[in-house]
Amino acid sequence: MSVAALIARHEWRRLVVQPFAWTLAAVVVALMAWQFLLALQAFLDLAPKLGGLKDAPGATDLVAIPLLRSFSNLLVLLVPLVTMRTFAGERRAQTLPLLLASGAGNARIVLGKYVGALGYVLLLIVLVVAMPLALGFGTTLDLGKIAAAMLGLMLFAAALAAIGIACSAWTAQPALAAAAAIAISALLAVVDAGARAQGIDSGGINYLALPTHLEPFCRGLVGSVDLVYFVLLACVALTLATRRLDALRSRPD
Amino acid sequence: MGMPSTLSSFSASCAPVRRCAALAVGAPEPEQSRIVNAPATLRLDRASRRLAGREVVRALDLDLARGEVLGLLGVNGAGKTTTLRMIAGVLAPTSGSVRLDGADLYEQPELARRRIGYLPETPPLHAELTTTEFLRFCARLHGLARSKVAAAIDRTLERCELGEVRHRLIGALSKGFRQRIGLAQAIVHDPELIVLDEPASGLDPVQALKLRELVRGLKADHAVVLSTHVLPDVSACCDRVAILHRGELRHVGATQAPADRGAVRVGVTRSLQADDWRALPMVVSAAPIDATHWRVHLQADVAIDAFAAAVVARGFGLTEVHADVPVLEQTFMAIAAGDASARAA
Repeated sequence: MSVAALIARHEWRRLVVQPFAWTLAAVVVALMAWQFLLALQAFLDLAPKLGGLKDAPGATDLVAIPLLRSFSNLLVLLVPLVTMRTFAGERRAQTLPLLLASGAGNARIVLGKYVGALGYVLLLIVLVVAMPLALGFGTTLDLGKIAAAMLGLMLFAAALAAIGIACSAWTAQPALAAAAAIAISALLAVVDAGARAQGIDSGGINYLALPTHLEPFCRGLVGSVDLVYFVLLACVALTLATRRLDALRSRPD
Repeated sequence: MGMPSTLSSFSASCAPVRRCAALAVGAPEPEQSRIVNAPATLRLDRASRRLAGREVVRALDLDLARGEVLGLLGVNGAGKTTTLRMIAGVLAPTSGSVRLDGADLYEQPELARRRIGYLPETPPLHAELTTTEFLRFCARLHGLARSKVAAAIDRTLERCELGEVRHRLIGALSKGFRQRIGLAQAIVHDPELIVLDEPASGLDPVQALKLRELVRGLKADHAVVLSTHVLPDVSACCDRVAILHRGELRHVGATQAPADRGAVRVGVTRSLQADDWRALPMVVSAAPIDATHWRVHLQADVAIDAFAAAVVARGFGLTEVHADVPVLEQTFMAIAAGDASARAA
């Protein structure tokens, strides 16, 4: 097993033995289940009226996709809470030297921490996606569209996790790391809000915004531009985290 | 005159170090000879480190071989922790090099993975895991093969007397156990070099005694560097001592200098001159410590009771006589007071 995989597995293990992860998962699942049931009830109320329409939207468009879109907003708050302790917690507890002295290499340490934290977030995404998928027992779902939305959500979470890791490497205070990650993620989520309000939806500022690249996935479109955007964002953030770790080797904290 | 072989592995780049070499004049013990014959595992070559614009460690030269325990002494802020961090691969030197068997630690950082074990001042423990879980991770992190991990953990638990807490959460353990787990994570992968920063910090006297025994046991198969404020720990565990002061190496010498083993510290009531002592047939030399205390060097094989009887017969007013062991303490205090050259020579 590579060092990065070992660290990832260890991170995962540390996460799941703490009440924090279980509590967070319980709150998220409960919140999303409530939203799912509300959306389902609204769909059931609307279903008789949709019956007569040609190409009427189904459960996928009226329940599954809105639920996943809503979950993406929650991820902006949720992911930083998962990543905040990856480095900041280690620095506060003075346990980072264990990794720094292991000869593992900063990039591998960052990658291991990232994969460990992302694994937990991806599990939450799978749990949430399982809710609308349960409708498959009673109705026909557009599984391709749901799969695309799930992929988009995973890429979205991957970018947010990388931002969270970078912020965590930057400070020794987990709360500050979470606040910084939420601020940056929120900024990237609304950076083009003003432009959109003025009807501009294909400018450079739109390209920077996270929702611009998540939305095509929610419509069932998997575009290479959107895919590259998320991967690039994650790579930049992880590189910054690695650079920060390099700098920490030059400081006595 | 050739320098005793015990000292031949010492760096001689600093003038204070050369002066201190005189402390170790005398026939090296068999164990010390073995140490010298071993190739240097660790070599610091003019290693310096700047932090926040200040040179915390300056041009440090130091060698260490397998089978040797080096004690690093110094007052707070002397640069001990920075030095240990450089040795452990946590902190890169600003200039100079840290070499492990000739390979630069910062050009080949993966060397540290298998070959260095590091216990920082605060043991880096994951409180939410059990002792065994944590040690398993540490063993794998340091590159130990999966098939060897279980045996390595059992051996380490036994060595550090942690068997009774192997399945308990680290966060629920006492300070003494945590310190021992910190030591266990540093040795679980059987590294060549073990770096211990204040390993006895916070331990009660019984635990500190056990730790000394453990460190002495480690010396058989490893090179060990440890920093401490507790001078008896250095005397009990270390073969050599290096004293840092304001980032400079001020003294490197044997912990028990052979030449001083024939010295006694004598308390008398009368005011004496050195010639009064030399009039005694068994005395080689004498030097005053203060008005009523003398350091007296005796000829070899002189019984202490014969010397005491002679002092009493001369009517010096003997009040006390004991082995003059705290040379290390005197050297340390002198250096700490900035009077390094006078005492260390």
